[in-house]
Amino acid sequence: MTTDRREESFETRLARFRIVNAWWIRLACYALSIVLLLGAWQALGHSFGILFVPFTTTMSRLWEMLQSGPLLPGLVVSGKLYGVTLAINIVLGVTVGLLLARIKLIAAAFEPYIYILYATPTISLVPFVSVMFGFEFGSRVLVSVLISIFPILIGVTEGARSIPRQHLDVAAIFGSSEGQLWRDVIVPYVMPYAMSGIKQSIALSMVGTLVAEFFLNPDGVAAVLLQGTTIVDSGWVLAVTIFICAIAVVLVGIGELIERYLVRWRHTAVG
Amino acid sequence: MATYSSRIETAPAARWSWGSGIVTRERVAPLVAGAVLLIIWEIWVRATLPDFVARPSGIILAIPSTMASGEFWSDVGATLGAIMEGVAIGSAAGILVGVAMGRVREIDWFFSTYIRALYALPLIALVPIVILWVGYQPAARLIIVVISVFLPVAVTTADGTRAISKDYLDVGKMFGARTHNVWFGIALPSATPFIVAGIELGFARGITNAIAVEILASVNGMGMSVFTKSNELNENASLVYVLALAIFAVGVRSLMIRFRHWLAPWYHR
Repeated sequence: MTTDRREESFETRLARFRIVNAWWIRLACYALSIVLLLGAWQALGHSFGILFVPFTTTMSRLWEMLQSGPLLPGLVVSGKLYGVTLAINIVLGVTVGLLLARIKLIAAAFEPYIYILYATPTISLVPFVSVMFGFEFGSRVLVSVLISIFPILIGVTEGARSIPRQHLDVAAIFGSSEGQLWRDVIVPYVMPYAMSGIKQSIALSMVGTLVAEFFLNPDGVAAVLLQGTTIVDSGWVLAVTIFICAIAVVLVGIGELIERYLVRWRHTAVG
Repeated sequence: MATYSSRIETAPAARWSWGSGIVTRERVAPLVAGAVLLIIWEIWVRATLPDFVARPSGIILAIPSTMASGEFWSDVGATLGAIMEGVAIGSAAGILVGVAMGRVREIDWFFSTYIRALYALPLIALVPIVILWVGYQPAARLIIVVISVFLPVAVTTADGTRAISKDYLDVGKMFGARTHNVWFGIALPSATPFIVAGIELGFARGITNAIAVEILASVNGMGMSVFTKSNELNENASLVYVLALAIFAVGVRSLMIRFRHWLAPWYHR
């Protein structure tokens, strides 16, 4: 036995160690990365002065701002825009996506422009939108939706187009009406594509909300963030940035949960 | 078949002309739709909105004078130069970190918390803190573009190099491949389509975020000019800049698709 051990190379033993202790190593990696970053932040924060306050100062700042400050009122304003954007994305994205897949002439006519609009950086359209429609809530929604609707729309279109010919043929043979065809074939088939579009839309609607708030007369959380830059208060800006990041992580996590649920559903449906 | 696949990528509308038999009708449809949209836009603005609001005829008339100015070309140079530089730096860094994350689980675990958090965060939220640190400078734009490209490239490279076929690794081992051979000789080439997809995504985000920084930090460039021209009530010139940005964005997109086909001809999504 002992001779066997000695003949093993260092690499083999390392590989075994990594497999046996994978769980602990993983935990240690997470812990180490967090400790190192926070430690570096704390140390740098003490040497850079007002431009980069330490982690602890940032956190107490965030706590103060949550207790009494512009952050929660701002969040309510942003949350409203976010909710409206997401709802429009889902309803309009799925409807238009299905129409584009089913009515070929409309698709042929408008698809090039949809792709061009998708590729164009929407921020550059903000001045035009504001001249045409003003700076009010409607304009914000328009900008926000233009930024975040395309993945769901294009995803649904592609999904509906990939319905196997046989499914449609079978439905036709059994004499399905257009209504039955949609209920029994198209909608169930497109559902996973729509869900994965919704997942992307959950993340992108946040981008849309922030852009609309930054560039059409600052409002909501974005305005709170800009306020910190104007008064050169790095504690303020860092606190709000971390706050937005936390919300983003939670929302993206919800999106991933939806997708995981969807994958399970897809497995049972197919298998 | 080659023409078929390239047509799918560059002109989505042409997809329907294939096999449906009515080629002419579906070729003409986008032209008609485009003309109708432009005419509605023109008439609507003429009828209901003040004279300075951009309309198609005004934009076309504004193209020569806008493009003749030196300002336009210095803006184009500044913005596109910064984007190219940022994409180069961000991709290189993203590929290196991504390969390391994909091949060594511990490195993946170490970085994943931050990369996930930053990947979830709309990067526009980082603009204020970057402005605070580096000032109202072009450097802020470069930093944001680098981050915008680095994140998707690191994530896709990690995914691509993690998921390489065991057969490749076994063959490599048989021929005595060392770690760097596995990383850069096997993992990286087989992850090419992933990496290009990451760069493509990063490019799109980089363009958007570069413009965002220009406006928030008052850095000279195309995005800044879109807003200043609009504030000067020179809406048509502002839209000429938008048009130039759109052409650049669409051009980059189709170039990246060609690039992917050329680099990884075996891979068609």
